Amino acid sequence: MESARHVFRVLFLLVVGIAIFSIGRTFLVPKSYGAYGPYRFDNVAEQAAIRLPRHGGAAACGACHPERLKALSAGAHRTVACEVCHAPLALHVRDGAKVADMAVDRSFTMCARCHRRLEGRPAAFPQIVLAQHQGGVEGTACIECHDPHGPKL
Amino acid sequence: MDETQRDAPASAPDPVGRREFLSSALRLGGGVLVFLAGAPAIGEAGEGYDWTQHRWAYLIDTEKCIGCGSCVRACKAENDVPDGFFRTWVERYVVSPEASHVDSPKGGLEGFPPIQTPFAPTKSFFVPKMCNHCKETPCVQVCPVGASYRTQDGVVLVDGERCIGCGYCVQACPYGSRFLSPETHTAEKCTWCYHRITKGLRPACVEVCPTATRQFGDMRREDDPVRLAIARGRVSVLQPHLLTEPQCFYLALDKEVR
Amino acid sequence: MPEISGYAFPNDVHVHWSLMIVMYPYITGFVAGAFIVTALYHLFGKKEFEPVARLALATSFCFMAIATFPLNLHLGHPERAGYVMVTPHFSSAMAGFGLLYSAYFVILLLEVWFVYRREIIETARRSRGLKRAFYAALALGTYDTSPEALEIDHRAVKVLSAFGLPAACMLHGYVGFIFGGIKANPWWSTPLMPVIFLLSAAVSGIALLVLLHQVTARLWRRPVERETVQAMARWLWFFPILTVTLELLEIMLLAYENSDAWHIISQLLTTRLEFSFISVQMIVGSLVPFILLAIVVTMNRYLHDRVRNTLAVIASLLLLVQVFAMRWNVVIGGQLFSKSFRGLRSGYQPALFDREGVLVAIGLFILPFALLYVFDRVLPIEPAAAPPGPPPAEGVVEPARRTA
Repeated sequence: MESARHVFRVLFLLVVGIAIFSIGRTFLVPKSYGAYGPYRFDNVAEQAAIRLPRHGGAAACGACHPERLKALSAGAHRTVACEVCHAPLALHVRDGAKVADMAVDRSFTMCARCHRRLEGRPAAFPQIVLAQHQGGVEGTACIECHDPHGPKL
Repeated sequence: MDETQRDAPASAPDPVGRREFLSSALRLGGGVLVFLAGAPAIGEAGEGYDWTQHRWAYLIDTEKCIGCGSCVRACKAENDVPDGFFRTWVERYVVSPEASHVDSPKGGLEGFPPIQTPFAPTKSFFVPKMCNHCKETPCVQVCPVGASYRTQDGVVLVDGERCIGCGYCVQACPYGSRFLSPETHTAEKCTWCYHRITKGLRPACVEVCPTATRQFGDMRREDDPVRLAIARGRVSVLQPHLLTEPQCFYLALDKEVR
Repeated sequence: MPEISGYAFPNDVHVHWSLMIVMYPYITGFVAGAFIVTALYHLFGKKEFEPVARLALATSFCFMAIATFPLNLHLGHPERAGYVMVTPHFSSAMAGFGLLYSAYFVILLLEVWFVYRREIIETARRSRGLKRAFYAALALGTYDTSPEALEIDHRAVKVLSAFGLPAACMLHGYVGFIFGGIKANPWWSTPLMPVIFLLSAAVSGIALLVLLHQVTARLWRRPVERETVQAMARWLWFFPILTVTLELLEIMLLAYENSDAWHIISQLLTTRLEFSFISVQMIVGSLVPFILLAIVVTMNRYLHDRVRNTLAVIASLLLLVQVFAMRWNVVIGGQLFSKSFRGLRSGYQPALFDREGVLVAIGLFILPFALLYVFDRVLPIEPAAAPPGPPPAEGVVEPARRTA
């Protein structure tokens, strides 16, 4: 069909365009894409290694401070993680060596966050109404009387 | 208070081997990396993490939560969560039969201040929340480039290298778990601390919770306490009518909680 | 930080889908709507639309050219936008964008080419040097303007229109699906969403062409065709009736079913969206044009041309505003309440100079008109500007002087 030659030319260009796109696309799709689903599988390992864990847990602290851990485990704070009042382990130890002093929060706020009497806390949980607590004053550090590692007096 | 932290790492022999303990606890990733990166060779023998051997789940007992916010702080420290955004947060519900009040000041990051409601509450409680790592995720479904996905061990992740920052997944999540990070301009959310659980550790929020409100478990282990609680106890999930099949299970969830 | 009334999930307080995401369906709405107008002539042969057929085609093309801009301005990583083409995740409606956009763009390009092919060749023949080379390249090196070839062009245009119409509809319908498919958001999640989006796209396209017809008629010193205005006014009356009916139906059903979502949505409509939804979209944007166009349609015989044109123009302007308001109310409105269903945030005010701000949005709206001007310089839109073809053979009636 002579008079339709221009149509064939256009269609040819279209086919070439689609071919270029399809071939080019295969170079751009990441290697691990589709291995286990429509995502880049390499990312799973990347996420597993995205950063070193920063919290170590009580056992990790006890590896260097067994006395402390023993005292804690005997007291009312045995379920409180060291890193709640102190800082995450990774700020203090890296590669098995100490890199900085462990931070510690000794403020009133630290204790009040858990122990201030609040609507919503389970009744069995020890809560304090400051006015009824040894004439406590807002802001006075609780640790002046209580040992945070064995708080029951 | 005596400070014993100033002990220099001694070279004296020690039954526990503190250096070994710490370095292995924090560097187990090495073997894992090599192992996983050799995909698709998962399941081959060797040390390291095999994602086909786990199916993670999370259990939250709202009767135990005291709203201290340690979990929110730990998550922020562990994952560099940007200010004003939350991978996990705690909500407080103050309820009476006629009215209810919900708040979450800074997601519970600094605990909760005392509150006065215009009505007399008859019950109140705290509800921790995070990404539910749903089985039928609406968020993975809508990702246009396959940046968001669910691993074979049941964790929903976002590929930060692939995400184009369109925000569709943020809109699609019924729980408000996702956000667009102002730093990376990609979608981010709770990952159940994937970098920790693949090393045998627990997510940071579970690690620091002082009242065992948050528990993390493996549904593939027969004797796992979380699995037993879910299998035998009365558990709920958030917004069950949406059929997203969340893998965060709640005990004692009140009808007021959405 | 926005102000929250009630309780919103802590991550839920941001409007991530900004003014750019309002502009995108607005722009693709013009693409689809303008194509519907041109298809009414090229595919369905409605002669009243002949005067605006090429204008509509060019309009659709120029808006299509910039349709990706609001999206790229919105993305957190626009340099990765290509991933939607390379690794599309087809469970996501948004992934359809790559395919739909490309397919429709190809159809549009081809249709423009076939419509203008004869004139391109004639311009090439008449020109010298660079201009000749340019037009020869545009003609893809073909020079056949025989009646048989032109007849094939004519048929090709018809075929392309037939494919292009559903393609254009899907290009805009999928945007409605993007919203409609989000079960997490009850303001968006309805099967009617793709239909509402598409119908209001038709409204915006026809309204724009009513205005452009008036403007180009003055520019080219040609009469405004009464039949064309009347036909467009009729469609411009029907489509919004359908759209508004569906939109109101959706709200009525939500209210009737009184689901947990209605509680927060009714607050949304009566507080945050009171101005943009009730005042702008419904009263000024829908009721007033309905009345004006009802006059034009039902009292056609008694109307002076000037009155008809004025009423049509006013109605079109108001409808352009209405369609924008509808996009705004859907996109922004859906983000003003939290998924907790307990809280609303303060209204969203786009910044002036932001990458996703007001000035950029205005610029995006003006840009296609600038492109239209360039288009007209290269491929004249005005019908009479096309030079006469070869003289007709004996006894053959020369058809209209363009392959439109």
